[in-house]
Amino acid sequence: MYGLEAINAHNGWAMALTGAIIVMTGLTVLSTIISQLHRIIDLLEKRGNKKTLAIDEPAFVTRIQPPPATLSDLSTHVERFHLMTTDAGDSFDLITLHQIFIQNDDPHPHLTIRSLREQGFLVSAGEGRFTWKR
Amino acid sequence: MELFLQFLSNTGFFLTDYRYLIMMAVGCTFVYLAIAKEYEPLLLLPIGFGVIVGNIPFFKGFGLGIYESNSVLHYLYFGVTSGLYPSIVFLGLGAMTDFSSLLIRPKLMLLGAAAQMGIYFTLLSALALGFMPKEAGSIAIIGGADGPTSIFLTAKLAPHLIGPVAIAAYSYMALIPIIQPPIMRLLTTKQERLIKMPDTDRTVSRKELLLFPVIGVVLCCYLAPASIPLLGPFFFGNLMKVSGVVDRLAKTAASSIIDTATIFLGFTVGASTQGDVFLTPKSVGIFFLGAVAFSIATASGVLFAKLMNLFMKNKINPLLGAAGVSAVPGSAREVHLQGQKEDPSNYLLMHAMACNSSGVIGSAICAGILWSFMV
Repeated sequence: MYGLEAINAHNGWAMALTGAIIVMTGLTVLSTIISQLHRIIDLLEKRGNKKTLAIDEPAFVTRIQPPPATLSDLSTHVERFHLMTTDAGDSFDLITLHQIFIQNDDPHPHLTIRSLREQGFLVSAGEGRFTWKR
Repeated sequence: MELFLQFLSNTGFFLTDYRYLIMMAVGCTFVYLAIAKEYEPLLLLPIGFGVIVGNIPFFKGFGLGIYESNSVLHYLYFGVTSGLYPSIVFLGLGAMTDFSSLLIRPKLMLLGAAAQMGIYFTLLSALALGFMPKEAGSIAIIGGADGPTSIFLTAKLAPHLIGPVAIAAYSYMALIPIIQPPIMRLLTTKQERLIKMPDTDRTVSRKELLLFPVIGVVLCCYLAPASIPLLGPFFFGNLMKVSGVVDRLAKTAASSIIDTATIFLGFTVGASTQGDVFLTPKSVGIFFLGAVAFSIATASGVLFAKLMNLFMKNKINPLLGAAGVSAVPGSAREVHLQGQKEDPSNYLLMHAMACNSSGVIGSAICAGILWSFMV
C-alpha cells in the first residue's frame, strides 16, 4: 500500500497532527512557566524578607569600575578585568566571563570578549576554558 | 595442501563480495572525513571504524559477528538494542548543557518545538512510501537531528533498521554546514538575516537553574512518559551540574561516562552495518527520507520564526529557527556563522544555543510520543 491510501490506513494524519500538537503544547507550557519563574522566585523571596525583622545590609559596597565603552585600548583596562574574574578562578568559560561583564555593566560584552581574544589578552586554557595571558 | 586450501576458503579474501567492499569504502570515507576534514570526528571516527570492522567477512557460526549471539560484538551491541547507550549519552549531555541562555529567552523554546515538525512530515512521507508505521516512526525521528534519540526509538520500534537510521542521522548531523545554509538563505531575506537580537541585562539566578530540571522532567515526562529513559537522565545530569554539590559526579558524567558510551555506541552502530544486511532498497529510502526530514525540520524552524515576527514587537532573527533542530552545537554554530556572514558584529550564538537545547528536549518528547503511538 502506498501514498494517501497508506497514510489513511495507518491513521497517519491523526498521529502526525496529534504528535505535533502535543510537542508544541508541551514546550509552550514549559516556556511560559520558565518565563515567569524568576518573577515567582522574586515574589517568594520578598515574602520571606518581609517576615524578617532586621536585614543586615553591608555598610559599604566596593564596586569595580565598569569596563570601557570603547575598545580601542584594552591594555589599560586589563587589570580591571582581572579583578572582575578573581572569584571565577584561574580559568573560566566564556559564558561565565560574559555574565561577569554584564553584571559589571559592560555595554558590549560580546565585543569586549572578542577584542580580548583577538588582542591576545585572553588565551585558551584547553577544554573550552580560558585564562588571562600572564 | 588441503589444509591450506581449507584455510584459504575461510579467509575474508575468499568470503568477500561487492556489498562488503562498498560498505568498507563508506567506512573509510567516514574515517577520512573525521580525520582529514574534522567533520564531527567524535561520531564519524568510531562509526567509520565500526563499519570497517563490521564488514570484514567471516566464517558464520563462529560467534564473531554482531548479529551472532554469544559474540563479543553482540554483547556490546546490547547497549544499543536495549536503549542503554542513548540514555547514558543523555545523562552526559544534561551534565554538559547550560540552560541559562534558554531561561533568559524562553520564547525561543517555541522554535525548538517548531523544528520538530520535520519529524511528523517525514512520518507521513514514510507511510506514503510504503513503510510500516513502526518503521516510519523510526525514520521520522531522524528529523529531530539527534543521533542517540534516533537510535533509542529505532531500537524500540524497528531494531532491524538501527544501522541505516543511525548512519543517516549521524551523517546528516555531520553535513549540517552543507544542508542547512542553503535552506536558511532561501527562506530569509537579507534584512531578516541582519536582525540583531538584543542582549539582556537579566542574569539567571541559581534557584532558576535548580528549578528548571525539576520542572522540565516533571512536565515533559508527565506529557510523554515514554520519553523518561531519555529526559530522566538528561535533566538529572543537568541538576548534578547546576547543584554544585556533586561536582565530581557531574564532571564524570560530562566526560568519562558520555565518552565511554559514545565510543561503544558509535563503534557498534558502525559494526551493525554489515553489507548483506545494510545494502537494501529500504536503506536507500531511509537515506532519502532522512534528508527530507532534516531539511523540513530546518525549514519549519525558520518559517515559524518568521510567523512569530508577524505578532512580535521585537523581531527575532529567523535564522535562529534552524537551530531548533537538536544537533548540538553544530546547528547553533551554523546559525551564528550565517548571521556573521551578513554582519560580523551580529552575535547569535547564545540565542541559537537556547533554540538548540530546547530542540533536544523537543526531539526526546517526540520520540516518546511516537513510541507511545506505535505500541
